[in-house]
Amino acid sequence: MSGYLGRRLLQMVPLLLGISIVVFAVIQAAPGGPEGALLAAGRFVDPAAIEAYRARLGVDQPLPVQYLRWLGAAVSGDLGASFSTSRPVLEMIGERLPATIELMGAAFAIAALAAFGAGAIGGFWPGGWADRIATGGAFLGMAMPIFWLGLVAQLVFGVTLGWLPISGTHTIGATSLGDHFAHLALPAVVLSSRYVASWSRYFRASLLQAAASDHVRTAMAKGLSIVAVRRAHLLRNALGPVASVVTINLAELFTGAVVTETIFAWPGIGRLFVQGMYARDYPLLMGILLLGSLAVVVMNLVADLIYGALDPRVRLR
Amino acid sequence: MTARSLTVIALGVLAACGDGPGAGDRRILRVAYEREIDLLNPFTSQNLADISYTMIEGLVTTDENNRYVPVLASAIPTMANGLLTVEPNGQVRATWPLRSGVLWHDGAPFSAADVCFTWRFVIDPKSETYNREQYLNIVGCETPNDTTVVFTWSGEYAYYDGLFEAILPRHILGSMSAEEIVRYEPYNRGSKTIGTGPFRFAEWKSGEYIRVVRNDRYWRGADLPAIDEIVWAFIPDANTRLNALKAGRYHFGRILPVQVKEIQSLPGVRTHLVNSNSVMHLDLNVKSDRGRRLFGDLRVRQAIAHAIDREAIATQLMEGTVTIANSPINVSSSYHDARAVHPAFDPAQAAALLDQAGWTAGPDGVRQRDGERLGFTMLNRAGATDRIAVAQVIQAQLKAVGIEVRFETLESAAWTLRWRTGQWESIVSAWFLPADPSLTGLYACDGANNMTGFCDPALDSILERSDRTLDPDRRKRDLDLAQEMLVATARTLPLYYNVVPEVVSRSIGNYRGSGTNFGSFWNVFEWPLAP
Repeated sequence: MSGYLGRRLLQMVPLLLGISIVVFAVIQAAPGGPEGALLAAGRFVDPAAIEAYRARLGVDQPLPVQYLRWLGAAVSGDLGASFSTSRPVLEMIGERLPATIELMGAAFAIAALAAFGAGAIGGFWPGGWADRIATGGAFLGMAMPIFWLGLVAQLVFGVTLGWLPISGTHTIGATSLGDHFAHLALPAVVLSSRYVASWSRYFRASLLQAAASDHVRTAMAKGLSIVAVRRAHLLRNALGPVASVVTINLAELFTGAVVTETIFAWPGIGRLFVQGMYARDYPLLMGILLLGSLAVVVMNLVADLIYGALDPRVRLR
Repeated sequence: MTARSLTVIALGVLAACGDGPGAGDRRILRVAYEREIDLLNPFTSQNLADISYTMIEGLVTTDENNRYVPVLASAIPTMANGLLTVEPNGQVRATWPLRSGVLWHDGAPFSAADVCFTWRFVIDPKSETYNREQYLNIVGCETPNDTTVVFTWSGEYAYYDGLFEAILPRHILGSMSAEEIVRYEPYNRGSKTIGTGPFRFAEWKSGEYIRVVRNDRYWRGADLPAIDEIVWAFIPDANTRLNALKAGRYHFGRILPVQVKEIQSLPGVRTHLVNSNSVMHLDLNVKSDRGRRLFGDLRVRQAIAHAIDREAIATQLMEGTVTIANSPINVSSSYHDARAVHPAFDPAQAAALLDQAGWTAGPDGVRQRDGERLGFTMLNRAGATDRIAVAQVIQAQLKAVGIEVRFETLESAAWTLRWRTGQWESIVSAWFLPADPSLTGLYACDGANNMTGFCDPALDSILERSDRTLDPDRRKRDLDLAQEMLVATARTLPLYYNVVPEVVSRSIGNYRGSGTNFGSFWNVFEWPLAP
């Protein structure tokens, strides 16, 4: 087991290096450069100022030089300075990480509760009226674009009913926790809709598949109560595939949700990334993408470990 | 533990966390702001610096009529007040009297030396200042005393009165190189953003807001500013901003012209349509052979102008929120020439002009000449919904007279690159112009922002003359002539002045607005805010 873990961790090094090369190439392949931001406000800009800007950022250097400079600093833990703010990228990401983790964590928690409820209803009583409602809701959740759902939720709960705030993390001048959670409510619920939809479908399908297997029929034939069969034989078998999906989704804890954060003015990493894209802020984009890649790679490993723990037939070597 | 006892505990926790300090009866101006800015140094920020200008003052600002008004200067030098003189050697001396008793936010006295220091920073190539070239014509800065600064200009430059939008604190930045200042995070980010303005920096919460608080030592008097605190909350999505304003959570916010109708009936706010110094226009490019074949002929350009119904664009598409533009110079400016008017909508005249130019209707309705179709590509910027909507109207109207317009849509930075390098045929775009009315950068043959390939030596000499005079009347005559020449040559078609609808709470007083790069907070020091 520890050999397996060591090997997987070691494999991450070339993997992340490869990812960094691909990410760097993709970012550079986008036409336009950071100087475009100088002109985005639409005002006259002295061409000499543009050249000075490019030279200071080092984007007048050949691409391999730029990459190696970045890599050299990155291996020593320095992800460079943002083009648009001149601030350390790590610091900028660090500021946004708590808000991102909070929003994503809340959305995941809500999604987990709702998805397991809806999935269990569908898996235990397939075809019933509750299953039909849950299934319909799941498809609706998948089909509705987040930005639309978010704006409608703002209109209904923020403007018409006036129950909940619309944007930001707290009311200006207020610092109470209750006020903060009220701000979290709409974005977290709206964001969770995406996960509820997919997780509940996975869980329902897993339960149905497990219910059709021989050992469940045998357990029923032994005369075990339906509750005992569900708890001991169904749930454990059905959780494996769902756990994998959920864990891989959990990588998004560190990357944020671009649309939800933008609509609800939530200060997360997703919005930082969008800003970075428009400004062609290469170091910032590299930093965020690399962090996201690291999260995905690690969460994949965690998913494998969890799968092994849930299903003794899977041996990790 | 029962559900009820859990509820009681939860409520108790919430109650115990009641509102902390900061609320109370402080008068807090809450602004729903459209973006998170990059940094606070107004010389190097790539965004509108209206937040910075509430902390950092310059020699001048602009009022609602595009006029420069003195701030840290007590008067703007002119020939009439004798503070502007032409020396026998052709150099110009501009003597700026400064306010006395002005303190920086940290208590250090503001003086003429700060102004000369700012000038030396800007002219350094590493200052990356967008309008540095204008400052380069200043050849000397003297400080006869602490409240007088004298600039020596190499000659007569009409824009001498609109520079120095901000003054940097020498006692903070004086020992640094220009590049160090550009990168100096404490000044860029707030902790050392020391100005002389009515508000001083308090807090910048990344991704959330910038907060400034009242400067108790403000030089205009102890009772100013009348507001204790301003918070700019960053709300990038226009629909969210609208919803937040509707929910009554903010005193001030900018919305889109198409959203104006939705908020008009809302009690408690007024919506001001600020005429910004920005003209939506159609540009044609004659840099390529094909561009010259298509647009090199005046009749074709005039036909395009006749074929586009600008009235319909303004009243229907923009829902009457905008005014039709005929000149790049804003109507609120005294340099605007009301006699320069582009051709009226007249498709029959457009067709006749195209016939004369030899472009006759082809089998599919698109005009042709010598086997070449009268069609071109319009370069659009993705996400610029207003511009794309205008482009679509133009496309339909030109089709009606037999001109085919194809679209190519690119993401912002990619669009900018293509525009800068002149790789486009036509473009619907807008400039954000300074209050100074100079047209040289846009239309002179070698103008830094003339990407169209149009070059008219006669216009060049008029533009040059308009920049090199200190006589406002003479400048007005030359700029009038230039505006009329732009109409006569039909090289660009102004469509409308961009409006920025500003939703302003009725509890704010003295709001006057401004369409320049100073923005509408230029007089925030005198805004009262009712509770």
